[in-house]
Amino acid sequence: MKALFRINLILSLLIALAVVVQAQDSRLQLSSLDHLAAKANQTVDVSVDERLMKMAAKVFNEKDVDEREVKKLVEGLKGIYVKSFEFDTEGQYSAADLETIRMQLRGPGWTRLVNVTSKKEGNLEVYLLFNGDVVGGLAVLHSDLKEFTVVNIVGPVDLDKLASLEGQFGVPELGIEKTKKNEQ
Amino acid sequence: MKDDYLWDKTGQPDPEIQKLEEILGTLRYQPWPLELPVSRRRSYFPLLAIAASLLLALFAAGVWLQVRNQTAPQPREAKAISTPSSVEEKKPEQIIPKIVAPSPEVIAVNHKHRHRSVPTALSTREREEALLAKQQLMMALRLTTEKLSLVHRKPQNTTPANQIKNQHRVG
Repeated sequence: MKALFRINLILSLLIALAVVVQAQDSRLQLSSLDHLAAKANQTVDVSVDERLMKMAAKVFNEKDVDEREVKKLVEGLKGIYVKSFEFDTEGQYSAADLETIRMQLRGPGWTRLVNVTSKKEGNLEVYLLFNGDVVGGLAVLHSDLKEFTVVNIVGPVDLDKLASLEGQFGVPELGIEKTKKNEQ
Repeated sequence: MKDDYLWDKTGQPDPEIQKLEEILGTLRYQPWPLELPVSRRRSYFPLLAIAASLLLALFAAGVWLQVRNQTAPQPREAKAISTPSSVEEKKPEQIIPKIVAPSPEVIAVNHKHRHRSVPTALSTREREEALLAKQQLMMALRLTTEKLSLVHRKPQNTTPANQIKNQHRVG
């Protein structure tokens, strides 16, 4: 009986570990920010998981160059999650709200790529999750006096492809490629 | 009450003591010699435990794979695309401004036009879901690139100011 219990325990632990490893992707838990929606005058809440991503890929027009590029970008992704709140007045979100996201981004694999702080545009942080040498996810955290935005892209983000979207569908020019080359 | 029963089994016995005697009596010394087993009986318990554990693991893996496969797209649906080229040529002009604009009216009009180029294999509900997902996707990408552009804009803004400062110093 003891042997059965031990073996089952070990196997259960292994299964749980596999599930945790599977779940330990770049998905951030953003539900803690839901209470901010009541205070915000404008809220953007985008939650596109892998299934929806694949469904969306079906309605992209293959003959359209722009849509083809977007399709290529999102093909390998497992999800895109955005929570953005714009407030009328300052101080509507707390440091604890920020910390709940930052705490997750301090986890293993995450690397802060950029941290820009300015009085005009607030604080902007860009994080990448590395699975070995491969980028497994992207997170953007933007906190302004009247704005709080978290973007979380789950899956292998191709920054080159993301850069190729500049100027398309209202996407502004990024200069990611240029920046990267200059840094190298 | 006398305690003689415990001493020499005389007097009134205590029922609890009697019960204990009955229970422990099976373990009292028996005068016959110890019989050693001729062949030791093999226990299949560990093997059964391993088999049960493997079955459990296989079951868990099966459930996991099934859940994963349910989220995967069906290739049959993806292949079935048959739309007239004239409609598709018009599509980019219709989509581009409408995705940027977040108003619900525009989104509703957008749905109407884009239904024409959607693969016929998708059901109406799936099509609507896919279009909504696409809209959300585009919105998310737009927001992402907007935020990333702030990163790029920041060094650009500082460069001219530094140049002016340097010119002032040099001049």
